Amino acid sequence: MSFLSLMIKNPFRNKTRASLAIVGIAIGIATIVALGMVTGGLQTATQSTLKAGSAEISVTQTGTNTFESGGGTLNESLATDLQNISGVKNTAGILRANANITAANTFGGLSVNGIDSSKLSLEGIDSVNGTIYSNGSSNQLILGKTVAQSLNKTVGDSINLFGKEFKVTGIYQTGNFIQDAGAFTSLNTLQNLTNNNGKISVIAVKVTDNANVTTVSQAIEKAYPNQLTATTAADQANRINQGLGTINTASTAISLLAIIIGGIGIINVMIMSVYERTREIGVLKAVGWRSRRILTMILGESIILTLVAAVVGIIMGVIGVEVLLNVLPTSGTAIKPVLTIEILLRAFGIGFVVGLVGGLYPAYRASRLAPTEALRYE
Amino acid sequence: MNKENIIEIQGLKKRFDKGKIKALNGIDLVIKKGEFVSIMGPSGSGKSTLLNMIGALDKADEGFIKVAGIDLMEVKDLSKFRSQEIGFVFQLHNLIPNLSVLENVEIPMYETKSSSKEIRERALELLKLMNFPNFSDTIKQNPTKLSGGERQRVAIARALVNHPSIILADEPTGALDSKTGDMILNLLKEIHHKENVTLVMVTHEPYVAEMADRTINVLDGKVSNE
Repeated sequence: MSFLSLMIKNPFRNKTRASLAIVGIAIGIATIVALGMVTGGLQTATQSTLKAGSAEISVTQTGTNTFESGGGTLNESLATDLQNISGVKNTAGILRANANITAANTFGGLSVNGIDSSKLSLEGIDSVNGTIYSNGSSNQLILGKTVAQSLNKTVGDSINLFGKEFKVTGIYQTGNFIQDAGAFTSLNTLQNLTNNNGKISVIAVKVTDNANVTTVSQAIEKAYPNQLTATTAADQANRINQGLGTINTASTAISLLAIIIGGIGIINVMIMSVYERTREIGVLKAVGWRSRRILTMILGESIILTLVAAVVGIIMGVIGVEVLLNVLPTSGTAIKPVLTIEILLRAFGIGFVVGLVGGLYPAYRASRLAPTEALRYE
Repeated sequence: MNKENIIEIQGLKKRFDKGKIKALNGIDLVIKKGEFVSIMGPSGSGKSTLLNMIGALDKADEGFIKVAGIDLMEVKDLSKFRSQEIGFVFQLHNLIPNLSVLENVEIPMYETKSSSKEIRERALELLKLMNFPNFSDTIKQNPTKLSGGERQRVAIARALVNHPSIILADEPTGALDSKTGDMILNLLKEIHHKENVTLVMVTHEPYVAEMADRTINVLDGKVSNE
């Protein structure tokens, strides 16, 4: 048996105590893993908003939010007017409306976008499974893959929106979790149904290949002062990332808390272990073990215990996120949790630090035991 | 130093409880290499303390003690000395309960530069000398499943594993019945002869002491007579 095998074997002498210590630390690590996976998924989704081919700039009425802008706040003609600005390659007027759906397990409704079908590529929709809706007043639409799954709808099915039956002509997938949780129909149809004739909510702007996105964005705002606000896709991603930064800060705080609580737990477990093995430590000293080897053994046992807790925590975190997202409504299928190497390293890093910090004092105490006193210990 | 002297002690003193208890009160003693010496004395006479001093488990307050050529009063870390020169056999065997018999014997060799294979071979070699009835089963078992005599034989194998020059046995038969005790004593004596190892044994049984080449009586922390 090697020294390493001995260190692996020792912490599990008292299986109940070891299991409880592992579960205690694993819960902290599972929380960190779960949060990391969700924020990672959100970050990936955010990055997909910068998808090549789609519009780089969103233009809205000044004072409205790019994400929340709904209803007709802009004149449709502005979309055409913006094409005259230098650097603008193409524009698309989009009307956004929220449709109540009672049959689905969604958060209060479905985001329906009205847009000319020829301009869907500006919204990142390059292909659909099925066909694209016609631009007339026919009640046709295409559904995002996420919402189609949660509504259990497929091509050819019908869906009731705004009191009208819509036929699903296609299913699309952009990789953007917001986009994939919505639906697209013709602009005219949506304007008619929501009494927004001639009105749009947002203008998607695609710039020419040589143009600078920021420069074009500034040119739009300059051309329509106090009327239009232009937001680049990069700005949108940054805003989302700022929100995710808050979650990351919370994750760091939980990590610290896990280290402190887990560390105290491990100190307790390892001190108990050292007390119970006082006589044994005396024997090890009597047979010639150096204090440093005893310190290494106890520290190693502590670290092994917490690394096992890290493995358990990772498994708990992954299963927990999957279960939670499956139970939750639309957002559950919209967010794709990502288990990255960074999260794994973080989990194992925390496990290692907890083991090291928690094991240090008991290991030091064990290494300082006087052999004769240890051998007399009852 | 005379080459034949493996243990040299002069005026060795050890006090406990802030000097109130004088465990050793000026011990003078010389033991020659290869000798079998028994240390006798009543409870509290200081014989076990003396054994602990020889084995460098504790440090004396005053005096001179040289064992296997090493001045124990001068060297700070004596773990290497214990590992290379001393083999302990305790009254209560002190085996590690969650390790197998074989693993218990291997434990002292972790401090040597031997490979895992060499450690295993040496431990098996010694355990074979201990004449266990079901050898292959016994060495895999935990010591808790063995009889007192079997446990003490494992402890003897553990004491010998690093080829020590001195075996220190603290009442090795104290917890055994007379028949098993005799068997252990014969085993120790056999090892003493075969390996030419110095054997120092603390006992309070006169018949056990008679088996030694020489008996040292300790009384009130001093050698009373030899």
